[in-house]
Amino acid sequence: MPVIEVRDLRKAYGDLQAVAGVAFDVAEGEVFGMLGPNGAGKTTTVEILEGLRIRDSGEVSVLGLDPATSGQEFKRLVGVQLQQVALYPRLRVHEVISLFGSFYKQQAETDELIALMGLQDRRNARIAELSGGQAQRLSVALAVVNKPRLVFLDEPSTGMDPQARRNLWEIIEGFKADGMTVVLTTHYMEEAERLCDRVAVMDHGRIIALDSPGALVRASFDEDAIEFVSNNGLTADDMSGLAGVTSATSQGSAHSIFSSDIPRTMGSLLELAQERGAPLESMRVRHATLEDVFLKLTGRTLRD
Amino acid sequence: MNAFLPLLRTNYRDFVRDRTALFWTLAFPILFIGIFGIVLGRGDDGASYEVGLVMEDASPQAATLGEVLSQFEALELTRGDRESEIASLADGDRRAVIVVPRGFGASIDGGTPQPLQVHFDPSQQTTQQVVIPVLLRAFEVADRALTQTHPMVTADFQTLQSERLQVIDFIMPGLIAMSVMNGGVFGAIAMVSLRERRVLRRLSATPLPAWALVGADVTFRMVVVLLQTVLLVVLAVLIGGVSVKVENLPALAGVTVLGGLAFVAIGFFLGAFAKTEQGFFPIAQVVTFPMLFLSGIFFPLDTMPDWIRPVVSAMPLTYLGDAMRQLMVGGAPVHSMALNLGVLSVFLVVFFGLAVRLFKYE
Repeated sequence: MPVIEVRDLRKAYGDLQAVAGVAFDVAEGEVFGMLGPNGAGKTTTVEILEGLRIRDSGEVSVLGLDPATSGQEFKRLVGVQLQQVALYPRLRVHEVISLFGSFYKQQAETDELIALMGLQDRRNARIAELSGGQAQRLSVALAVVNKPRLVFLDEPSTGMDPQARRNLWEIIEGFKADGMTVVLTTHYMEEAERLCDRVAVMDHGRIIALDSPGALVRASFDEDAIEFVSNNGLTADDMSGLAGVTSATSQGSAHSIFSSDIPRTMGSLLELAQERGAPLESMRVRHATLEDVFLKLTGRTLRD
Repeated sequence: MNAFLPLLRTNYRDFVRDRTALFWTLAFPILFIGIFGIVLGRGDDGASYEVGLVMEDASPQAATLGEVLSQFEALELTRGDRESEIASLADGDRRAVIVVPRGFGASIDGGTPQPLQVHFDPSQQTTQQVVIPVLLRAFEVADRALTQTHPMVTADFQTLQSERLQVIDFIMPGLIAMSVMNGGVFGAIAMVSLRERRVLRRLSATPLPAWALVGADVTFRMVVVLLQTVLLVVLAVLIGGVSVKVENLPALAGVTVLGGLAFVAIGFFLGAFAKTEQGFFPIAQVVTFPMLFLSGIFFPLDTMPDWIRPVVSAMPLTYLGDAMRQLMVGGAPVHSMALNLGVLSVFLVVFFGLAVRLFKYE
């Protein structure tokens, strides 16, 4: 039986349909990602699952309960991390963790949790003194202070530098190893690719694709991409005509060409560049990613 | 699960580590008490007022008048000529100048006494309220001395209170009422700040019941308000020389808590209209500031014009100030104690109800 079941979920704010008919299941022990740009409806969906927002219609079951009506009983069982919470600035790290622990019957040991999050050095630091990454790790710590079976993380790596982000990924992989079910929203495709068993790609309040990251890429692309920067008038149309090309996109001077036959395409691209006198800079060949999937499905990038 | 004590501890830590808030909570009332205590304290009892005496008449009657005036301790007599004394009055060096005109003695002998000229600045309140009555009394005594008569009607004044109340006794309970109001209304800023920083929303995702959060916050505010009141009463006694009715102190603590609760409820209600901590200040100021001047805590209600009475009656501080004055120094009641407590309770219930209805986590 799935940990989360969602059917035809809808939520509007005035005229804005934030969530427009969403359906998915999350299995026990799974890391489930929701990928999409800001305003895609990820946070609204997650906050409905957390019991913080009331849905307009649809069916939601989380741990066999309806979050909208189950109140305290439900909140004891799940862990929640929200975006942009500025905790008590004058409290110390360990004080905040014990405070949140005191809200639950079942609570993790404060110092164990501090060690798990790599915050030992900051145990007695005031919240106001923490870096963005440390504050973010503390908020993840608070989400698991009640040792939940299911934890919701809403853009947990926002504001982190790449190193801090990798640390956080290891922590989340640790949750999964402990058998915890994780629902994660993000707009970093790298994060989704690395952590998630399955990813729901959201845009404009709908799920436009839902599968494992590998399957999502394979479904959209059986080819690799050539990327380069060129300022000299090469257009997507020019490149679509090259040998082996299946599709090409340009964003300003940054170009991506997808090809099922990289060597042939590369050859004809170099010829074209020479003909036009167009320098090709920062050229590289890579596999297609979730980012490409999103661009192909919506015509926009995740950062738009 | 018992989150009440940890929340209380959190409030305490948050409060004592906020140096600015701590400073204003303690320093502001101390400053007020200090200033009022020094300006209005009992040290004023032996105060005397400089009064100029211009003798333009050399008769024995004029001399008698001068002698009588010099016997009043409240008056510090300076003799001089008209021009220099009037100049001193204009400079603020004299409260009043009495001119005994030429021919004063002769006019008394002739049966049509010439009036004395008294110059003073009517814009000075103490001159109006203290110096002029003393002068009138002195003239009366001089009158008796000159006409050789004895007063027939005398009075032995019995005050309602065990001792005569002075301005300082009137002001101090008002100051304490003010600090209870500020502590209550501005105390709500903590909740506004938690909401602004999205902590309330985060807490709403935990099983923490709302009553524990609000209960711990209100309890902490009451402890702060009570400590403030204790501090102020002690300072009022030490600096202001106010004689406090010790037997009423438990009741005073009770009224402090009732008033504190009513003002916290009003603060929570106002907090519903502020998105940010910064936005809360002007709203709270607009509500509290008029009460400082119109609720009778610093100025007696009977000095105010009639048309403003309905406004005064609608202000909770009016009732808290009156209740505190009655309990602390035995001041004359404006309203009955039952009415004071009743009105404060109504404010508490109504505004707490409104605050609950308007409350938002975000």
